[in-house]
Amino acid sequence: MNQVVFESVRKTFRHRPALFNWLGKERGGETIALKDVSFSAAPAEVLVLLGPNGSGKTTALKLISTILLPDAGSVRVGGFDARRDAGAVRRQVGIAVAAERSFFPRLSARENLDFFAALDEVPRRQRAQRIDEVLHDTGLEEQADTLVMKFSSGTYQRLGIARALVKRPCVLLLDEPTRSLDAATTAHFWAAIRGLARQETTVLLATHNFAEAAAVAHRLLLLHHGELLADRSLGDGESAEALRSFYFRKTGEIDEAINATHRARTSP
Amino acid sequence: MTSTLDKLHAILRRDLLTAIRHRSGFIVTLVGVFTELAAFYFLSRAIGPGFRPGGLEYFPFILVGTGVYTFFVMSAQAFLSAVQEAQQTGTLEVLMTTSTAPAELLVLSSISAFAGNLVNLLVYLFTGVAVFRASIHANLLSCVAVLIFSLAIALALGIAAAALQVAFQKGSALLWLLGSGLWFLSGTMFPIQSLPRPLELLARAVPLTYAIDGMRRALLQGQSVVAMARTLAVLAGFGVVLLLLALTGLSLSLRRARQNGTLSFY
Repeated sequence: MNQVVFESVRKTFRHRPALFNWLGKERGGETIALKDVSFSAAPAEVLVLLGPNGSGKTTALKLISTILLPDAGSVRVGGFDARRDAGAVRRQVGIAVAAERSFFPRLSARENLDFFAALDEVPRRQRAQRIDEVLHDTGLEEQADTLVMKFSSGTYQRLGIARALVKRPCVLLLDEPTRSLDAATTAHFWAAIRGLARQETTVLLATHNFAEAAAVAHRLLLLHHGELLADRSLGDGESAEALRSFYFRKTGEIDEAINATHRARTSP
Repeated sequence: MTSTLDKLHAILRRDLLTAIRHRSGFIVTLVGVFTELAAFYFLSRAIGPGFRPGGLEYFPFILVGTGVYTFFVMSAQAFLSAVQEAQQTGTLEVLMTTSTAPAELLVLSSISAFAGNLVNLLVYLFTGVAVFRASIHANLLSCVAVLIFSLAIALALGIAAAALQVAFQKGSALLWLLGSGLWFLSGTMFPIQSLPRPLELLARAVPLTYAIDGMRRALLQGQSVVAMARTLAVLAGFGVVLLLLALTGLSLSLRRARQNGTLSFY
C-alpha cells in the first residue's frame, strides 16, 4: 500500500487587499499553487520534489502535514484522509521546514526536543534515549545543552531535522533540509536519509539542489507553476548534471550557467 | 489523560524555564507591584477613611479590584503574545503538525500562561496585606471557588483573543476592549453603583464584575460559599458559556487558517 497518496489535489491562495487599499499598491487576486496534482509514495521510498521557487513544493509538503487543507482532491497518509483524520495523519508525519527559527530561544536543544517529543506523544520513558539518538545523528551532541538562541542558521537547521526525527515518523517531510549546512554535514545527512529509507520510512524532500536529488532520490517529481511536469524513477548512478539537463529541458527555463559558459567561450 | 498531563507538564516547564531565564523579569515585576500598590495606598489615604465602598476600607477594595483585573488582562495578554510570537517565528505552524490536536495545544498553553499570572496575583495580594497592611478577613474555600470560576472566564477570554488573532490577526482588539471598557465597567476602582443606571446595568452583564465582587466578598468579608451561591452560579454560567463559545471560535478560526494558508500571518 502507498504511504502517501495525492489525488487530483488543487490548492489556490486568495489574496485580499487591505481595507484602505487606495493608500498602497496591493492588489487582490489568486495564486494557483497546485493544479490537479496526483502522485503517490511507497514505504521506503525517497521522493524528491524538484522545481523553481513558487512551483508548489512547499505547498505539497504542508498539505501532507495538515498545515494546509486542499481546495479539491484528497491527500491520504497511511490510509487516513488529511482533512477528515488530521490527527491520525499528524501522528505519522514528521516535518522539517525551511524557516528554522521555529524553536523556543531560551530553551536548550535538548529541552526543545523534549518539549516537542512530549507533544508528539513519545512515551516519557523512551524520550531521553531517543533525543540522545537524534542529537547524535544530526551531530548536535556538543550543542545539546546550549540555549538555541545562540545557534547559527546551520545548527538551527540540524535541530529542525532532529525534531522531525524524534517521533520516528512513517513519513518524513523535508523542505530544503541542507540549505544552510556545510559540505561534510550535508554528506552525512544524505547518508542518514538513505538509512531511514532502508528502515521503511517514506521520505519526501523538496529541494533546488540537483546534487542532493541525485544523491538520495529513488523517484523525482518535477513541479512547475503548480503543475506536475514529470514523475519518474532515477536510474542507478544518474548524475546531478543529467538531472540538471532534464530539469531545464522539461521546464523550458533558461539555464544561465550554460549561457554564461557559452558567452565566455564566444567572447573575444 | 496521562498523555494530556504529560503535555501540560511539558508546556509548564517550557514557560517556567523561559520565565526564569529572563533574569531581570521577576525583579521588574516585583518593583512594578510595589510601586503600583504604594500609589494606591497613598491614594486611599488622600481620599480618607470616610470613603468606604460597600462598607470596605478603600485600600483593600482597590487592592482586590486591580489585582483581579490585572490577572485577567495580563494573562490574556501573555497568552496572546505567545501566539503572536509563535506566528512570527514559524513555531505555530510546527506546533500544529505535532500529534497534539491544535485546540488541545492552545488550551494547555493558555492554562500555563494563566498559571504564571496566578502567581503574580498571589504576590500582589500578599504584598498588599504584608507590606501595606490591607485588612482582610478571608474565607479560603470561597476564595478558591471564585478563583476557579474566574479562571474559566479568563481562559475563555485568552482563547477568544487567540482565535481572533489566528482568524483576522486582530487578537489585540479584544484586549483593548478588556483593557479600557471593562476597566471602567467592572468596578475595579469604584463600586458600579456609582455609575448612571444604564451603565450600571451594562456593568452587570460583564463577567469580570462578578469575579471582582466575588473575590472582595470572599477575601475581605469572609463570606461563605453558601452566602455567595448566586455570585458563584453566575460566574460558573459565564465560564461554561464563554469557554464553549471561545473553543468553537478557535476551532473555526484554525480551520479557516488552514484552508486559506494564513496560520502564520501576523
